[in-house]
Amino acid sequence: MKITIERAALLRSLGHVQSVVERRNTIPILSNVLLKAENGELALTATDMDLEIVESVPADIARPGSATAPAHTLYDIARKLPDGSQVELDFTADTLTLRSGRSQFRLGALPVEDFPVMAGGDTGHRFTLSANDLKMLVDRTKFAISTEETRYYLNGIYLHASKAKTGAAEIPVLRAVATDGHRLARVEMALPDGASGIPGVIIPRKTVIEVRKLLDEAADRIEVQLSDTKVRFAFDSIVLTSKLIDGTFPDYERVIPTGNDKVMEVNAGQFAAAVDRVATISTEKSRAVKLSLDRGILTLSASSPEAGSATEEIEVSYDNTALEIGFNSRYLLDITQQIEGEGVRFTLADAGSPTVVRDVADGSALYVLMPMRV
Amino acid sequence: MTSPGIRKIIHVDMDAFYASVEQRDNPQLRGRPVAVGYGAKRGVVAAASYEAREYGVRSAMPSTTALRKCPPLIFVPPRFEVYRAISRQIREIFADYTDLIEPLSLDEAYLDVTENRRGLPTATATATEIRARIKAETGLNASAGVSYNKFLAKLASDHRKPNGQFVVPPGYGEAFVETLPVGRFHGVGPVTAEKMNSLGIHTGADLRRQTVSFLQTHFGKSGPWYHAIAHGEDHRPVVSDRPRKSSGSETTFLEDLTEPAAVEQGVLSMADEVWAWCEKAQAFGRTVTVKIKYGDFRQATRSRTLAAPVVSRETLRTISVDLVRTVYPLPTGVRLLGVTVSSFEAAGPPAQLEFGF
Repeated sequence: MKITIERAALLRSLGHVQSVVERRNTIPILSNVLLKAENGELALTATDMDLEIVESVPADIARPGSATAPAHTLYDIARKLPDGSQVELDFTADTLTLRSGRSQFRLGALPVEDFPVMAGGDTGHRFTLSANDLKMLVDRTKFAISTEETRYYLNGIYLHASKAKTGAAEIPVLRAVATDGHRLARVEMALPDGASGIPGVIIPRKTVIEVRKLLDEAADRIEVQLSDTKVRFAFDSIVLTSKLIDGTFPDYERVIPTGNDKVMEVNAGQFAAAVDRVATISTEKSRAVKLSLDRGILTLSASSPEAGSATEEIEVSYDNTALEIGFNSRYLLDITQQIEGEGVRFTLADAGSPTVVRDVADGSALYVLMPMRV
Repeated sequence: MTSPGIRKIIHVDMDAFYASVEQRDNPQLRGRPVAVGYGAKRGVVAAASYEAREYGVRSAMPSTTALRKCPPLIFVPPRFEVYRAISRQIREIFADYTDLIEPLSLDEAYLDVTENRRGLPTATATATEIRARIKAETGLNASAGVSYNKFLAKLASDHRKPNGQFVVPPGYGEAFVETLPVGRFHGVGPVTAEKMNSLGIHTGADLRRQTVSFLQTHFGKSGPWYHAIAHGEDHRPVVSDRPRKSSGSETTFLEDLTEPAAVEQGVLSMADEVWAWCEKAQAFGRTVTVKIKYGDFRQATRSRTLAAPVVSRETLRTISVDLVRTVYPLPTGVRLLGVTVSSFEAAGPPAQLEFGF
């Protein structure tokens, strides 16, 4: 294999694929990127066995063929080469030689045939959605994904087709749900064509994060292919294929309260800033803040044996019986960060029951938050 | 109307408790003179049935004397374990109405129901309901006295015994004690009664005519107490002997429930009542118990103990319904449903609550 490629194109693609490669690998080949040159394109592949990303870039191909190279090293080299330079990659026997200007690197390469390739096969359902919609689905749920390995079935976003009730009508929707047992985020959008029969799947956290990184620069249409075991995202010249979490997502509807009757509306920005200020005092471990609600007024307070105490009052829209409830301030901020509108609406029951949080102006996202006992 | 500062005290006294339990459990003893105790030579009567009392048999009477007064008297050896169990059962009933329970013995207790949990309008209604529940749940009769202090409540419970209830309302205390012989008063034993009689004090009215100093001269430091009770006054509080161990709520339905949906609705409303208390008292327990009593009075209880206290209404509701579902299909109509939370744990440091999945 021998090719020449623009440094900028190589750097950009390596930047995309190398983040899939784990920093520490017990299997050496997984530290490598697979380079495959043919038909005027260089295809770069990185994998961690669960998630595979392939990106193709135009290149001058002098001699088609394949090679492997240590991903992070190759990326670092490309990063340090001067802007606008050309890079030649020449693979012979077991050495990859990289030349650019007066620089030359000789990298030990592992056998191409050792590189694990994710089995292809039928990926079932196909639909497309806009990059913005996918961003929304991911951004508004990913903070709630559990990191607790024992509950592996919560370590991802549950994507499925469902129906949203608006009055008497039912609208088919695509839903993304994530929960860590303390809070839950549910976001929905109109069901894209072709997605009506999709199975409910749990997309692993790492996949979600990698996809999200790529979306800011992505073209508008994202093609999604889905089977019971795999999900594939294809856009521009990138194909990202991931195994799904093999587990059953809990019946999350059960924890979304429907009978909460105490409604508080508050300016999201003011609320978040006040929570953030008051939480300065709460203990590092619990991050607890107390919300004391009375007609028209919310008093936020926090205290810790070491640091002292803090209170702040905010005017809110609330016209119900007085209520005191505690929350983890981080969880409150995670949610308010996702509120784009001016107002945030809390629908509460009591100090021990789940609270529903929504954007006053946007019904597509719903958050459920369990309180803290304070 | 309740004036501020006026308490509502009930004295509940089981009628011939041990003897009634024996008659309940052994139909052959019913309607016959029964003494709980040992009929042997040196035995003593621990309790006598009302039939035996008609012959003059009394508690603490030597068995030989009792047999002489009442030749057909049947002696039954006491079963204190059973009495204790029933006593606990009765106390659980009390606990549904108030935390302020002061037991005097296995068969007697003062309750302060000034703020009763069930929201019943009067102490009289509370006493009536408690007695009805004791009858329904244990098959035994209780008498109750209702008044604004312990002294009067206890006198009142004795007034309509057995299986009766008497109320001494505020303002009627003096009049009530007026006619009673002093020997009936709490703190006036046989010796004191004798001494009072010798001083011409026979009734409450006689006692009331005495000055505190006169009573103090003759009866020492008990003088002020005698003076107070003669006026129907007693400021001793009801002192509960134990921290509350459970909170429960139950309802007997007007008609037996046969539909699972109705049963679940019933359980949910009990769960909500219990939760309201838990929240107010900030007491959260790890054990949830659901009690189902069928139309034929058979009873089933199902309980679940969790690793951590139930700290949300939703969790309590979910568990309660899960528990009641374990008895499906319903063998017959459901007469009564109850939900209880127990195994309370002290609220610890701030704790993040979890969804129930």
